[in-house]
Amino acid sequence: MNLFQSITSALDNALAKDPTAVIFGEDVAFGGVFRCTVGLRDKYGKDRVFNTPLCEQGIVGFGIGIAVAGATAIAEIQFADYIFPAFDQIVNEAAKYRYRSGDLFNCGNLTIRAPWGCVGHGALYHSQSPEAFFAHCPGIKIVIPRSPLQAKGLLLSCIEDKNPCIFFEPKILYRAAVEQVPVEPYNIPLSQAEVLQTGSDVTLVAWGTQVHVIKEVAAMAQEKLGVSCEVIDLRTILPWDTETVCKSVVKTGRLLISHEAPLTGGFASEISSTVQEECFLNLEAPISRVCGYDTPFPHIFEPFYIPDKWKCYDALRNMINY
Amino acid sequence: MAAMVALRALRWRLLSGPRAARRRLSDFPVPEEKPQFPGASAEFADRLEFIQPNVISGIPVYRVMDRQGHVLSPDQDPQLPQEAVLKLYRTMTLLNTMDRILYESQRQGRISFYMTNYGEEGTHVGSAAALDASDLVFGQYREAGVLMYRGYPLDLFMAQCYGNASDTAKGRQMPVHYGCRERHFVTISSPLATQIPQAVGAAYAIKRSDGNRAVICYFGEGAASEGDAHAGFNFAATLECPIVFFCRNNGYAISTPTSEQYRGDGIAARGPGYGLLSIRVDGNDVFAVYNATREARRRAVAENQPVLIEAMTYRIGHHSTSDDSSAYRSVDEVNYWDKQDHPISRLRHYMVNRGWWDEEQEKGWRKSSRKMVMEAFEEAERKPKPSPQLLFSDVYRELPPHLRRQRAALERHLQLYGEHYPLEHFEK
Repeated sequence: MNLFQSITSALDNALAKDPTAVIFGEDVAFGGVFRCTVGLRDKYGKDRVFNTPLCEQGIVGFGIGIAVAGATAIAEIQFADYIFPAFDQIVNEAAKYRYRSGDLFNCGNLTIRAPWGCVGHGALYHSQSPEAFFAHCPGIKIVIPRSPLQAKGLLLSCIEDKNPCIFFEPKILYRAAVEQVPVEPYNIPLSQAEVLQTGSDVTLVAWGTQVHVIKEVAAMAQEKLGVSCEVIDLRTILPWDTETVCKSVVKTGRLLISHEAPLTGGFASEISSTVQEECFLNLEAPISRVCGYDTPFPHIFEPFYIPDKWKCYDALRNMINY
Repeated sequence: MAAMVALRALRWRLLSGPRAARRRLSDFPVPEEKPQFPGASAEFADRLEFIQPNVISGIPVYRVMDRQGHVLSPDQDPQLPQEAVLKLYRTMTLLNTMDRILYESQRQGRISFYMTNYGEEGTHVGSAAALDASDLVFGQYREAGVLMYRGYPLDLFMAQCYGNASDTAKGRQMPVHYGCRERHFVTISSPLATQIPQAVGAAYAIKRSDGNRAVICYFGEGAASEGDAHAGFNFAATLECPIVFFCRNNGYAISTPTSEQYRGDGIAARGPGYGLLSIRVDGNDVFAVYNATREARRRAVAENQPVLIEAMTYRIGHHSTSDDSSAYRSVDEVNYWDKQDHPISRLRHYMVNRGWWDEEQEKGWRKSSRKMVMEAFEEAERKPKPSPQLLFSDVYRELPPHLRRQRAALERHLQLYGEHYPLEHFEK
């Protein structure tokens, strides 16, 4: 299955298992602009897979209400770039529902899905990675898969998790990434980073599409510099797995974090800050962040903007030579 | 009409037959037919005419009683039995008494904040009485009478305002942010109008799971300006949700009068724009509120459609204890409404007219209701606050490692610096 098919498979499993589960958002009825919901309306009915009016604050508010009433809500925001009208409902409402009511009410049955990240030509409004805005908000979970196999397991965990979750799907991988994915349901735990490759000299951390970039960088480092890299996919941004990352940095002494989102205030800042607190005496070099520039996401300049393997490789080289 | 159908059929044959390609545009007759646009269903107009919004004689205000409590048309009297009417009255007056005491307690620094419901008690109890007990309520912040009508005890109102250890919400929120799961009253939040699309979502889920339950969503005329209100109305209509939207139009959003809040004919006139059944009622007439809510609820559930009620009323009190409304409106205006058109006096007139109430009962009830409130008040004053450990729970359903660590950090901090914190008022 490719990534969008693995999403469809997860949604299919979720609707089959949970009769209260419904999927809604813009254009989901015919299958979605990225084909993630193809076939589901025919299979489960128009009261379970349906279009909403074009209104993100409505989509998320509506989804919160479904969850508060005890049913499972799977909301789609058409592009992560358009999630901002729903920011108030997510941050002020969904995230705080359980806390402010003393656990009398909650919207844990809410999952919000949105296509995320650069796609080659998306420019300002079809390329954004907004996880840092939400990482600052206690009460929600943020999950970003790197592949079809990961996506299905993580999405099912989000849907079943009893806290409101945002699931960002790397759109550039929707068709491009293909893997063997089981048709039956399975779960991948949240808040657990995955070490894809062990190493001794440098820790590389990323999530989503960028994991594939750092895997390539690890190979380049081994071949050109004889440097052994430990590659970590963070998977859950909030709450994040500090233990796995810190344990790795204690071993290697060097950390490089990379994401497409702009440098300033990006999630690499949080990781960097925590690691220097916990692993200060183990560090052999300053922590390196290879990120997008502090600009809106450009169109024609995308190849220069993105934190590609050459920028990551260069930063790694500087860390080794520090 | 038959001619149009015939012409349409002719055109279809002409356009789709094998010789269609050889037809020219001038071959086709020009029929007098309706526009075919997918987006609207209407006739053509051949005169340029703008629709004039009608605010001078807008949607009328439905009422049952006049200001002296006389029922104007007997067939509109909901014929509520005496006990039911007394319950409406007692709830409104108990709320009023609790408001006076808690407002005062804020002035004395005993609680941090309070909002009164003066003048709007009729909107609360009239609507609450018309609902089923299990109908789900989403409120804004000035609907305490709905919760009181459903039996929420005085000591829990006070516990929330004091944030003491009996507060079911564990002291998390500012006063008047009530919530009660078993009475189906969703916890209030400060951001305005956020509850509106949420109420719609809940109604959608309830429609799928239980065919006999409605959702009611309260909000003020100011909150109705928020984007979330627009979103909620539109979603409710397109997704066919069993929901009653109840707008309390009390004339002010803090200091902003309605003339600065909207230029159309209030909130009721927006309803038809969304495809909503809509009505405007006299919010100070409990029977009008009751009748409208009852019928709205019946139709919402029976027909799976939203209904919009705009209840006209007046906010007699300040917006909150942080507001002094004499800065933007005259005391005369406030006194006018308090003396001339108050839901409590109107209902009392009705009850006295029916021989169900008199001066002696009034005196007796004032005394006993005040006593109840004072007892609850004194008890709330005495209770300790919840343990500071509760600062960290319920962020997620489970306590994640980072919050466990932060909680431990606070514990260690208090061991060293506890003297600088008001620990004596809190449970361990």
